[in-house]
Amino acid sequence: MRHATEHDFDDVVMKNDKPVLVDFWAPWCAPCKALAPTLDDLAIEYADEMEIVKVDIEANPDLAKRFDVRGIPLLIVVKNGQETARTFGTVSRSRLDAFVDANVGTEK
Amino acid sequence: MTDIAFQGDPAVKDMALARLRRHIADGSFVFYPAWEEGKANVIGAIVEADDQTAFAERLGYPIALVTALESIVNAYQTLPVAQTYVTDWFEQTPVGADLSRVVSQVLLSILERSDLVTLTAPHAELERCRQAVIALHRREIDGDAADRKGWKVERLAAVAASDAITDGSFAHLAGLIVEAAAWPATMRTVLSDTLDACGRLELRRETGAIGWTEALESRAYKIREKAEIDGRMAELSGIDRMLGLLDAEDPELGQHFRQRLECFERLGHINRLVGRQIVELMRQAPVVATPAEASA
Repeated sequence: MRHATEHDFDDVVMKNDKPVLVDFWAPWCAPCKALAPTLDDLAIEYADEMEIVKVDIEANPDLAKRFDVRGIPLLIVVKNGQETARTFGTVSRSRLDAFVDANVGTEK
Repeated sequence: MTDIAFQGDPAVKDMALARLRRHIADGSFVFYPAWEEGKANVIGAIVEADDQTAFAERLGYPIALVTALESIVNAYQTLPVAQTYVTDWFEQTPVGADLSRVVSQVLLSILERSDLVTLTAPHAELERCRQAVIALHRREIDGDAADRKGWKVERLAAVAASDAITDGSFAHLAGLIVEAAAWPATMRTVLSDTLDACGRLELRRETGAIGWTEALESRAYKIREKAEIDGRMAELSGIDRMLGLLDAEDPELGQHFRQRLECFERLGHINRLVGRQIVELMRQAPVVATPAEASA
């Protein structure tokens, strides 16, 4: 799992060959912290199919504005440089898995 | 050696109990946070950090049990009772016990609860999913675990079955329990997610029984937020201030909010029940490792 900033976001996310699940979070966000272990597991499980990239909106406010981040945790899927789906709030592992399956197009 | 209690070493159990008892005796055992300024919860008391992975590895408990442990402990609501539970958790676990089946055993007990079956039975596909997930966990217990695809098929089916129930009934929430449990026992959050789903059903049932709705919750907290701005009853704090404000502005809502408070105090029943089941299952787990085997 990588972190992206305003300086390298386009290279890391928008120009990525694989689909990217972007996790918008902040250090003060307790639900973001609760979601973190789930995302850690997801990153390992779907390592072949996608990347997970974390964006700290406190350190990168322009990215929050660019993607109209109104609440966190916010997860968006970016494929071929385009946002294709988003989900907001603490999501169970099952629902997150279903979201990834539906929007990243995994075969497994 | 994974999932072998205390790595088969009595000294590890002694260390865990000693650290826990020291915090209890010093008055530094807390619910939250895990580890801060010398205060510790069940995780922090042992590993002196907010690190569930380290706790699991050091003490040989399955990571899924450890991930759910804090929410189980917090369900005991008062510190003395929580301290007794946590002490019991360690004391009742035999050194060298094979704990690898405990998570699946607990999930089976949740999935087989009669109140859950009552909700899933009228929905054919959801009931099929419940039974399929039970069968998968039974295979785990028997040492014949299904592969990743086998779990995924039933999990996605359970999600679809839950989503197909749109009448706002408790059955949809029952479906969330089934889908949350549709993971191998080795998945870190399978038990905590399942307990969260049980908690949502419990909350809806309890608040539904007293007619407490999200709209009433929102109204009560808007009154509270308004007081933050205009400073009304600032001489009071916490629940006293909340009740004072409600009694002044909307006495009927104030009375209803008192019922809501009583209702919330009853919550956590499932977590406490599961907590006791876990201790009993660990107590009965077969002992498979001695210190000599653990260090081999």
